[in-house]
Amino acid sequence: MKQGKTKPTVLIGLLGPTLDQGRNAGRWERWRPSIALCQHEDLLVSRFELLVQPRFESLGKLIDADIRSVSPETEVRRHVLQVRDPWDFEEVYGELHDFARGYAFDTDREDYLIHITTGTHVAQICLFLLTETHYFPARLVQTEPPAQRASGEPGAYKIIDLDLSKYDRLASRFRKEMKEGASFLKSGIETRNAGFNKLIERIEQVAVASRAPLLLTGPTGAGKSLLARRIYELRKSRNLVRGSFVEVNCATLRGDAAMSALFGHEKGAFTGATRDREGLLRAADGGVLFLDEIGELGSDEQAMLLRAIEEKVFLPVGADREARSDFLLIAGTNRDLRREVAAGRFREDLLARIDMWTFRLPGLAERREDIAPNLDYELEAYARQSGQHVSFTREGRERFLAFARSEQSAWLGNFRDLNGAVCRMATLALGGRISSEGVEEEIERLRAAWKADPQEAGGDGALEALLGPTRLEELDLFDRLQLERVVEVCRRSRSLSDAGRRLFERSRAQRKTSNDADRLRKYLLRFGLNWDDLFADRGE
Amino acid sequence: MILIDGGQGEGGGQVLRTALALSLVTGKAFRIDNIRAKRSKPGLLRQHLTAVQAATAVGGAETQGASIGSSRLDFTPGGLKPGAYRFAVGTAGSATLVLQTILPPLLLAKGPSELLLEGGTHNPFAPPFDFLSKAFLPLLKRMGAKIDARLERHGFYPAGGGKFSVRIEPTPDLQPLELLERGETVRRSARALLANLPVSIAQRELSIVQEKLGLAAHEIATEVIEQNPGPGNVLLVEIESEHVTEVFTGFGEKGRKAEDVARAAVDHTRAYLSAGAPVGPHLADQLLVPLALAGRGKFRTCEPSGHTRTNLDVIRRFLSADLRIEAEADGKWGVEVK
Repeated sequence: MKQGKTKPTVLIGLLGPTLDQGRNAGRWERWRPSIALCQHEDLLVSRFELLVQPRFESLGKLIDADIRSVSPETEVRRHVLQVRDPWDFEEVYGELHDFARGYAFDTDREDYLIHITTGTHVAQICLFLLTETHYFPARLVQTEPPAQRASGEPGAYKIIDLDLSKYDRLASRFRKEMKEGASFLKSGIETRNAGFNKLIERIEQVAVASRAPLLLTGPTGAGKSLLARRIYELRKSRNLVRGSFVEVNCATLRGDAAMSALFGHEKGAFTGATRDREGLLRAADGGVLFLDEIGELGSDEQAMLLRAIEEKVFLPVGADREARSDFLLIAGTNRDLRREVAAGRFREDLLARIDMWTFRLPGLAERREDIAPNLDYELEAYARQSGQHVSFTREGRERFLAFARSEQSAWLGNFRDLNGAVCRMATLALGGRISSEGVEEEIERLRAAWKADPQEAGGDGALEALLGPTRLEELDLFDRLQLERVVEVCRRSRSLSDAGRRLFERSRAQRKTSNDADRLRKYLLRFGLNWDDLFADRGE
Repeated sequence: MILIDGGQGEGGGQVLRTALALSLVTGKAFRIDNIRAKRSKPGLLRQHLTAVQAATAVGGAETQGASIGSSRLDFTPGGLKPGAYRFAVGTAGSATLVLQTILPPLLLAKGPSELLLEGGTHNPFAPPFDFLSKAFLPLLKRMGAKIDARLERHGFYPAGGGKFSVRIEPTPDLQPLELLERGETVRRSARALLANLPVSIAQRELSIVQEKLGLAAHEIATEVIEQNPGPGNVLLVEIESEHVTEVFTGFGEKGRKAEDVARAAVDHTRAYLSAGAPVGPHLADQLLVPLALAGRGKFRTCEPSGHTRTNLDVIRRFLSADLRIEAEADGKWGVEVK
């Protein structure tokens, strides 16, 4: 025996400027879908959330009044839908998406129907997609006119529940796409950590659906920069961006140069400004701007950035005309920005603007089950970079994983540490095999690093001090790791020649080289370093 | 608890309204099952729900299953609460049907009531306001009821927006009704109501009515209703006899020819006139409950419809009155309560 469901029905629909039109009494003989849905004897709409474009406000009021007349049971709430071009997919999707996100759905108490008959085809597709992805936890309702078009009868309606199996094919296709997107963001790494996987799925949804800024937080080396680039590439693959990916670490932007690096300058803006400079924001127009370590940004830059996000305009240094750039901002930070706000170092309004979507990337120690798949990924990456295929012996792999998964490993530098460990082990591997001895040696190195200097556990600490963050950023990881170890050896050596002998021992034995010291000197020079530089920060 | 099978007989909505009215009158709870079981849209519809809600309000009742599509309703009346009420009805239903549900209990309540009913006042498949004011309510008044209804604005399908008010004074003892003969015809008239439509429609309807019923020019009238939200057209034929007034209706609809509207009203009128009984089929349906509540009385009508018989069955479930319906001579039928 069917007892009717007792949850009230809430209808969400767009005012149809074409289908719902009509001002004189004759409108009652026209089929107007928004009205018709409130006339069915077997459908009681308790509330109608009517989305109205600003320029159809007066029609919205009339429809509102007409609904109240034919259906006094229905409460009509009109919402302004700020859409300038109802055929612009991105705009319509964005607005509807914002509406869906801002709406307090209470599915325990109410049933929701999304009316897809009114509005442009673009709007209908957007409504479908947003329902399909459960942004609207609703069923779709489609209306059709009566056979006798002008009879004043409500015609028919059809409720479509996308969760039902007959629509599964559609849904599974969509899910597959979503899964591909998530996998893409994870660089194809089959991660097992449920929390992380969920996080990535959510980022995938947001990355595809939203144009609002994203904030990626988490410790150094957790993969913020890589993820930002993947988000850009995902959006690009879905044709959601046309511009490029521009990345900058705000810690490298200091002083007067910061403003002009970000916002550009005009020729003659200051001494030395001999040419116009575009600036990073303009370079990111139509694309994605990743500002890592956004907490390091100075207050002037913060103010200008806020304006650039909100209004898409800003003033380049020395310019008297505003420049325009429309970019998706991804910000990264390992700081607690709320605390920075409390301390007066970060603008509260800027934080409010960028933390609509905040995703905290967990450190490697919080995702120990993901170490194995990441280990494979790093080995493959090494093979691609070096052209050498390297693998673990069975014991070696077991030993490394046992250590890596245990609490003995701190993974202070997170993926940077893992990446470093794999590169070192692979470089030192004999015959392309990483043995348990090689692993033991690396474990000792890692332990020592985490113990010795937890602050610099990233491994880049020594190099950063030598080269400065900007130049370090420009180096390939390959070179960085090599240089790091070379510097280490040098610092343990008595002189340039001593270091040269150690470093080129094999070549020397095979008489391939004559002047080890010169070879090392030239190597260091490539990075702008000379022997004394390596010891400049010592003894202070 | 009285059990009613809502899938039996005809008139799903009528069964429910009669049950609601008599449950409030008698204080007896009921359950109705299989509501409109065989219909294409089974279960409670909005117009039924409106009636349930109105009955719940005036009767302090408790309900279970009062929702769209529900096939079972439990209705347990509390105490009658006469007073001021406003009920608004969607256009698919009719405000007059809501009145039909709550009028009998409010007549028998301890205090007066003021009702404001909004929505359709002249809808197809429901008694138009003119039928209430000209045909039904005068007979109730004859039975002693103190009741006054005023139309404030017409409401046509589908735009609605109509409004009428009803004042009901308590009438604890309804007097028996004896309505066996029509008597001489005193007055005949036909009126075409028209809102936001060309006057020619009314003229075409009236010319047919005039011709077929042989009405004089002063017996027909076009009534143009100004300031109505939507279009509307109803043709009303009134036959005022010595002992009773009957009202027959043709509803104008988009796509329906004025000639067809007129012919429908003419056919109903002619059937009534030729049957000779004072009470037409629709009026008979309305009179059953008051007659049963009075406990005594009789009226004569034409052959009862399945609708009327189902209604009678429901009344018998609530009231002990001996309600009989018997064929008499010349195709007339007698409905009697002893």
